[in-house]
Amino acid sequence: MLNYISYRLLQLIPLLVAISIIVFVIIQLPPGDFLTNYIQQLKLSGNDVSESAILNLKQEYGLDKSMIVQYVYWIKDMVLHGNMGRSFQFNMPVADVIWPRLGLTVAISLISLVFVWLVAIPIGIYSATHQYSILDYVFTFIGFIGVAVPGFLIALVLVYFIFIETGVSITGLFSPEYVDAPWTLAKVLDMLPRMILPVIVIGMASAASLIRITRGMLLDELSKQYVITARAKGVSEGRLLFKYPVRMAINPLISTIGWTLPALISGEVIVSIVLNLQTTGPMLLKALMTQDMYLCGSFILVTSVITVLGTLLSDILLAAIDPRIRFGGVGE
Amino acid sequence: MKVRRRFLAAVLVTALILTAALTACDDGSNSNSKSTSSNTDNKSDSSSSNDANTAKNDANEPAKSGNANDGAASAADGQIGEFHQSAALDGKNLPDVKDRLPADYKITNEMDENQLKYEIGSYGGTLRTVTSVANWDADVFVMDNEPLLNTPSILGEKITGNVLKDYLLSDDQMSISFQMRKGLKWSDGEPVTTEDIRFTVEDVLMNPELTPIFPLYLRSGGVAEGAPMKLEVLDDYNFKLTFDRPYGGLLIRLAIQGWRGYTELLKPAHYLKQFHTKYTPLATIEPAIKEAGFKPGEWVNLFNFKDITNWKLNHSEAVGFPVLYPWVITKATQSMTTYERNPYYFKVDTAGNQLPYIDKIESTLVNDIEMVSLKTIAGEVDFSRESAALVKMPLYKENEKNGYKAVLNNMHVTPTDIFLNLTYDNPTWQKVVQDVRFRKALNMAIDRQELIDTIYYGFAQPGSIEDPTFDLDQANQLLDDMGMKKNADGKRLGPDGKVFTIPFEVGAQAPDIVPYTQLISEMWRALGLNVTMKTIDQTLWGQRQTANDLQATVIWTHTPLWYMGDWGQGQWAPVWDQWHSSSGKNGKEPPEDVKKLYAKIDEAMASKPDDAKRLIEEVKQMMKDNVYYMIPLSEVKQPLIVNDKLGNIPTDSSFAIGTDFSGEQFFFKK
Repeated sequence: MLNYISYRLLQLIPLLVAISIIVFVIIQLPPGDFLTNYIQQLKLSGNDVSESAILNLKQEYGLDKSMIVQYVYWIKDMVLHGNMGRSFQFNMPVADVIWPRLGLTVAISLISLVFVWLVAIPIGIYSATHQYSILDYVFTFIGFIGVAVPGFLIALVLVYFIFIETGVSITGLFSPEYVDAPWTLAKVLDMLPRMILPVIVIGMASAASLIRITRGMLLDELSKQYVITARAKGVSEGRLLFKYPVRMAINPLISTIGWTLPALISGEVIVSIVLNLQTTGPMLLKALMTQDMYLCGSFILVTSVITVLGTLLSDILLAAIDPRIRFGGVGE
Repeated sequence: MKVRRRFLAAVLVTALILTAALTACDDGSNSNSKSTSSNTDNKSDSSSSNDANTAKNDANEPAKSGNANDGAASAADGQIGEFHQSAALDGKNLPDVKDRLPADYKITNEMDENQLKYEIGSYGGTLRTVTSVANWDADVFVMDNEPLLNTPSILGEKITGNVLKDYLLSDDQMSISFQMRKGLKWSDGEPVTTEDIRFTVEDVLMNPELTPIFPLYLRSGGVAEGAPMKLEVLDDYNFKLTFDRPYGGLLIRLAIQGWRGYTELLKPAHYLKQFHTKYTPLATIEPAIKEAGFKPGEWVNLFNFKDITNWKLNHSEAVGFPVLYPWVITKATQSMTTYERNPYYFKVDTAGNQLPYIDKIESTLVNDIEMVSLKTIAGEVDFSRESAALVKMPLYKENEKNGYKAVLNNMHVTPTDIFLNLTYDNPTWQKVVQDVRFRKALNMAIDRQELIDTIYYGFAQPGSIEDPTFDLDQANQLLDDMGMKKNADGKRLGPDGKVFTIPFEVGAQAPDIVPYTQLISEMWRALGLNVTMKTIDQTLWGQRQTANDLQATVIWTHTPLWYMGDWGQGQWAPVWDQWHSSSGKNGKEPPEDVKKLYAKIDEAMASKPDDAKRLIEEVKQMMKDNVYYMIPLSEVKQPLIVNDKLGNIPTDSSFAIGTDFSGEQFFFKK
């Protein structure tokens, strides 16, 4: 097992080198660079930007060097000094831009993940065990709506109705007086009620699909021979259900950890824009749009590392939980 | 096992490559830094010889007297007995307000009675603004920016002192003497003197490392052939700029053109000298270079990073930089930027109250421009101009109960103009669009009333610069005269016998551009022309525009403000414009009529305002005769969102951006 894990960890290195190169090249593929964008924005507002200032900015941002040199500097600083470069948009180190947003993003994602599990798994189990009951139909109906309607649309509609009905505009996670305040109990209490809407909106789609998956998996398992045998031997219904079939049914949860982890830090992009959440999603989108290359490059790199680690973690967890995988010959 | 061995080899190779690359790169940066530092030595040598020159000039007599400027609005200066300050400054251990103000303070408000009935305001409050772009809030930028000279209501009719107290243009327009405000102080309390001017001109503008290309507008006459202006420091508060050809136009350029701030000629020398190798040895600067994340020896980058020019005043790195603005940036996070009043600001009202009235500005950064609208209608914004759009006016009006007013001021740009690229690299295209009959025909096929009613809800006027007649028959006649016959499908053919196509490529820089282009396309199709339209990304648009790849496009110009000198030259003939701005080195030589137009614009921009406005009328006439680009509409309205408690908001007849510009006069009514 240890062998397997260290082997997988070593495998990370060439993978990350490849990812970093691809990321860096792709970001620079669109025409122009951050400066073209920035200068055009200044010019359209009637500002006079002299040729000289443009040259200076190019030098200051290091955009006068070739792509290879830029890449090498970037990687060198990251490996040797843990410095991920500067964000052009914010004019501060990339880490200072990402960190404050990361906490909030993880908090929202974790809470919605817990929300999804708490809601979807019991409903999924109920739907499977009471297949074709009225409640099953109701949940199925709601589930299909949740899957079919995109989260941002639900968010838009909710924001609109809340504004029309109460006059409150949902523009962020904090009341204005707390936006820049340091973290205190009061700030957390201020945030919690405002958290409900994003959690529900973000959780809706995945909850709906998880209900469908749990239901389907469980239905599959319930009709299997070992269940029938166990029932014939007089195992109680509750024990019968939770001992094996449910464990099997939540397998997908574990095998998708590899994607769940990066999703935790990357945040829901469109929903976050609609609800004006200061998470990493909109930050990444803006960075890509303005070609703020060190910011998006570093962030994508971090996300990829976590994806790879997440996949590893889910493989290990699966092996630990599911004997069939454990004995399935990892060694070769 | 085999797999693992192969894999280990791969790891080793990668590691090797990386090490090699890193070492190579290290070497590179070292040698770079060496060459830069040797350069620096050279530079400082040459600038010290400059010093000697100036010293010699100093000995010369002051310039001959010229005509006094008539914009002496500061007549009332020095008659106020008692000064007052905001309660927010009490108990902050500052010198007395009288000592903080310059002896030559400026009395605020130069607007006309019919634009603003000035009320003496009361102190206090926080002004909330919103922006969707990091490190940039246009509303705060315009409000906070201070030019060296001022042109009341941004009309360009007269020029008064601002940061500089006064100016004197010599009769031959070959030199301008400037007078500074005695006792004016930076926001950290240090005095502002001609040493700051000398530092900016000699050590920054004349230093080829810091300023690789000398700004065109500071050359005599504002043209590439003109020699760089010369600075003569007369004493602590007086200096003079001289030129080798008449250049009275510099005054308006310093006052407003391109939203130039005082930082163009006036930087805080006491602060910036610590980052300049002429005053501080490179070794002393090195730690700061490292801290800012630049490579060793890159003092130029550090200097440029630390030197906050006026368009960087919204940036997070501007915190701590000494300024002369009404509000000083004090805190910048990713969600909010805070500006607090500058205790040394130089303007007072007639009752002796030091401006600004409002203590603080909070600019919130949101993810998306739509979020600005939501915050606006929820009443969470006290002032919004840049993000307010005419199409949203009904929405604003509907929610005015939430504590704001949506007013319609004048817009300082044309709603949107139409450009056909006369120099696009295609002979057939050039032959057609360079024919003035073609441009006149297209201009005549624009139904201006329809544009106004459909897109601007009636809040615009047909443009007066070019002929606003709508006459399809005459337009068709002109095209027939050109020999553009129609084929069987009713499409007009070009001289090469193929269907002539006008391919619009537009970026969605403003909400009206796309529907506007759609309507124009429809109108021109009525002439039998094949018009296509494509919306492209704004960055790509900018790229294609610079590369002369755009054939036809739609964008606004600053035509309503004559002093901007913006006649869309870069849009309708990028190649000719290049020829002109590089004085013949790049691009292609334009035909005579265009040369005449360029010369006229240059002449206007080099002349003092009274002459300039006459010359601009001639430019307009040339535009009318030749229709180089189409300016179908003018006088569009621009919505402005203001808190309904805000006082000293100019009337609807002013420019929205001019209102924004007068922000230090706003106050919250009790």
